[in-house]
Amino acid sequence: MSVKIQPTNVHLIEVKLRNEFNDAEGAAAFALLKEQGLSSLKEVRTGRIYEVSGALSASQAHQAGKDLLCDAVTQEFRLVPASPAPMNGMNFWRVEVWLKPTVSDPVGATVIDAIAEGGLPRPTGVRCVHLYLLNGRAVKAQIEKAVAKSLANPLIHRVVVTEAHP
Amino acid sequence: MNELTENPAAATDVFPILEKSAKDLRVIGAQRHLSLSDVEWAAIQGHFKTLKREPSLAEVETIAQTWSEHCKHKTFTSPIRYTEGKKTRSIKNLFQETIVAATEAVKKPWCLSLFTDNAGVVAFGKKWALAFKVETHNHPSALEPYGGAATGVGGVVRDILGVGLGAKPVLNTDTFCFGRPDFKGPLPEGSHHPMRTLRGVVAGVRDYGNRMGIPTAGGGIWFDDEYRLNPLVFCGTVGIMPQWAVKKEVKPGDLIVAVGGRTGRDGLHGATFSSANLGADAPSSAVQIGHAIQEKRVLDALLAARDKKLYGSVTDCGAGGFSSAIGELGADCGARVRLENAPLKVSDLDSWEIWLSESQERMVLAVPPRSLKALEAVFAAEGCELAVLGEFTKTGRLEVMHHSSVIVDLDMKFLHKGLPRIERAAVWNTPPAVKPAGGVTKKAGDALREMIGHLNVCSREWVIRQYDHEVQGGTIVKPLQGVRHDGPGDACVIWPHAATGDMEDFSCFAVGHGLNPDYGRIDPYWMAMAAVDEALRNLTCVGADPARAALLDNFCWASPEDPKQLGALVRAAEGCRDAAKGFGAPFISGKDSMFNQSKDEKGKDLAIPGTLLISAVAPVPDGRKAVTMDFKGPGNALYLIGRTNDELGGSLYHRILGRTGGDVPKVSPAAAIDGFKALHAAMNRGHVLSAHDLSEGGLALCAAEMGFTGEFGCLLDLDECPRDPRIYSNETLLFSESPSRILVEVKPENESAFLRHFGKSTKSAMVRRVGQTTANPILKVTGLEGSTCLEEPLKELKETWQAPLPRILG
Repeated sequence: MSVKIQPTNVHLIEVKLRNEFNDAEGAAAFALLKEQGLSSLKEVRTGRIYEVSGALSASQAHQAGKDLLCDAVTQEFRLVPASPAPMNGMNFWRVEVWLKPTVSDPVGATVIDAIAEGGLPRPTGVRCVHLYLLNGRAVKAQIEKAVAKSLANPLIHRVVVTEAHP
Repeated sequence: MNELTENPAAATDVFPILEKSAKDLRVIGAQRHLSLSDVEWAAIQGHFKTLKREPSLAEVETIAQTWSEHCKHKTFTSPIRYTEGKKTRSIKNLFQETIVAATEAVKKPWCLSLFTDNAGVVAFGKKWALAFKVETHNHPSALEPYGGAATGVGGVVRDILGVGLGAKPVLNTDTFCFGRPDFKGPLPEGSHHPMRTLRGVVAGVRDYGNRMGIPTAGGGIWFDDEYRLNPLVFCGTVGIMPQWAVKKEVKPGDLIVAVGGRTGRDGLHGATFSSANLGADAPSSAVQIGHAIQEKRVLDALLAARDKKLYGSVTDCGAGGFSSAIGELGADCGARVRLENAPLKVSDLDSWEIWLSESQERMVLAVPPRSLKALEAVFAAEGCELAVLGEFTKTGRLEVMHHSSVIVDLDMKFLHKGLPRIERAAVWNTPPAVKPAGGVTKKAGDALREMIGHLNVCSREWVIRQYDHEVQGGTIVKPLQGVRHDGPGDACVIWPHAATGDMEDFSCFAVGHGLNPDYGRIDPYWMAMAAVDEALRNLTCVGADPARAALLDNFCWASPEDPKQLGALVRAAEGCRDAAKGFGAPFISGKDSMFNQSKDEKGKDLAIPGTLLISAVAPVPDGRKAVTMDFKGPGNALYLIGRTNDELGGSLYHRILGRTGGDVPKVSPAAAIDGFKALHAAMNRGHVLSAHDLSEGGLALCAAEMGFTGEFGCLLDLDECPRDPRIYSNETLLFSESPSRILVEVKPENESAFLRHFGKSTKSAMVRRVGQTTANPILKVTGLEGSTCLEEPLKELKETWQAPLPRILG
């Protein structure tokens, strides 16, 4: 009997509110970060990243992003390339809050079912990441400290802070 | 001898303990977060010495979980040598001698299930039963406020699904104790600021309850900086079930069926974690993120299967996971489990991890083999996973296999009855009576404004509005009341027609709470009495029948290994006993949470104040006659039920003055229950327009709240208050927190009919007309000397009352 092994791909689907819409979640995050001393911050926009693992091709991941994960009217999405973002983000920061692997991810579990119900190959795993795009003068260590005290809990989260495009 | 015990050498992951010293075992236990004492280790060693073999890792983990404070309530069930003053006596079992003894003395035939199941159950009419449980989720909420609180809700909802054959949740309650959200002092590394804890806990309760479609309509918040490292999160759920579903039974041969979520590495060591002081070394695996939609699927499928009578028993997978759920279900017969059948989230779990994991949203059922196919169809229809893990046996053994390995083979008797009972010392010294002293006296108006804006009094609208308290369409008396739906209700009233399907039956129930740790600082006995009194008073105010009230106790304490802490706990438990007997109200369920203390920033132990939450549930015979607390119109008479005494010890008034000493409020249950019953009778006749209890801030605060919620003013005359004749102070009459008092609004034409209820049959109740409502929204009070001692515009008082939480929390 021959066993057909499915290739495993990992796609990062980033979904965020279009810039013309008011971002209430971003405003709340902005207030929390200000409380933690990031006084030069000007704005925070929010989004989600879905890390989809499994046999989905890039076009199928694109389809999942378009049809399932993104509201075409208010949101936009993209597949995040594997290579790191260019480092010309003076005063623009990208903060990703990941759940640690031992912590269950109910949103991810729901997305797995939804992708399969949409007729695409069932992913082997999906993790949902909170994304915060910060605009304002700050130091990386300062952001990491503020995020750990407001938007993430080091006990269950892993935080990735990088400089980024606006 | 069965197949498994014949070959104990087949057990894998041997965990050698037989040759270890007590010191070694202590180290091993600390590394694995087992929370076993030296005596318990010795008992385990002794047991395996007689078996002439080493235990497996899974066996030690199973015993540690089963013997944890969370599962066995060792403090309440172990012997105590209690010294009060110069007298010493032995308490064999504090739980049996206080909570259970009082309930047995009260003997209420409408109590259907007490202390043995996942929740207490009382009759609700002839066909239905109400199940009520309040759980704490303190340690997880301290570590991860959002996830800890959400899974607290999920856990207590599963308790209600797992009581009898399952009840439909119709109400969630939440009560919290936090440090002040504007706390400015230093905190130890790794702890959350109280503001963050509050925001996270509220969001967790909100998201889980709202997503499950259960109204969150009862509860409260208490702020005190001694909770800053150890917040308390009390999550409660009321469910309704047909009376035939109250009894459950596991039969040998029944299949062990797990339903709901998959098993992962999350939640390991939650049970044993609760038996230790909270510190920086808490395991991250003890925290989880709940999946409310998954639990909703379980709820819907389970209740459908219940109504088809497809299973004989059910319980939830809470602390200890399969180990606890299957161990408890099979305690009287035996169970054989094959773990390879359990659906897993990840494939690299060790056997003991599958067995002990506390992954959420899972239930375990005992299913007759003939019903399995039909059960599978019901759960498949809801998209809910189901797996047969094994069968219940009549061997009296807990046998767990994973593929070809035996990982647990334990005698149920040793597991459930082998816990050594360790005698602890408890000491209580009644503090000497101290006259009130210190502080700076304030004008009555200034004091009232400060009190009404105090964090323990101010509006909770910022929190309440985040909860869906309307879902299911049965919340008759809501948490926010009055003409603008923003005043403070005493209790909620629920009409469970969505569960019963009967729109012609207006039988409702009310849920109320009582909590005041400040009284406990002076005397925990009177704190307990006052908490019971307050819970019953709140129920009475909305129209519930105080003679049909059932109580739940939730004790949250610091380390019971400190004799003073344990002495205070004994004192509080005895207060519960005397209150239950005095009020004739049985306890039906409860829970305790110990070791609520942590190292502060200087490395010193910071213990919470001994805290007791009393929750009470009672039927409202006709929901159409339920009463709210807002004044209904001008020119109505105001009656004060209950006597005012000079007992400002532990009061909010003393707190804002910075004053210490004084007598703590003392309850006279006989007089109190007479007053409550008489008021209930008057409400049933429609003679009461509004009623509100006097608690923090006393008469002045009560009248102000009723006034600004109804947007009518009132005139009060302190000389008319039923009182201790030795009181000559207006402030005492305005702000005393004497228990059992209720301010009632009555139409002038109903006054004589109202008073008849307080006639000869109610010997000890005191009631006097103390004033009247007015169209002008001003609170005006005439003092003992005949001149105005307090005159405050209610609009300003309301603004002061509403401001604090939005100002602090944004």
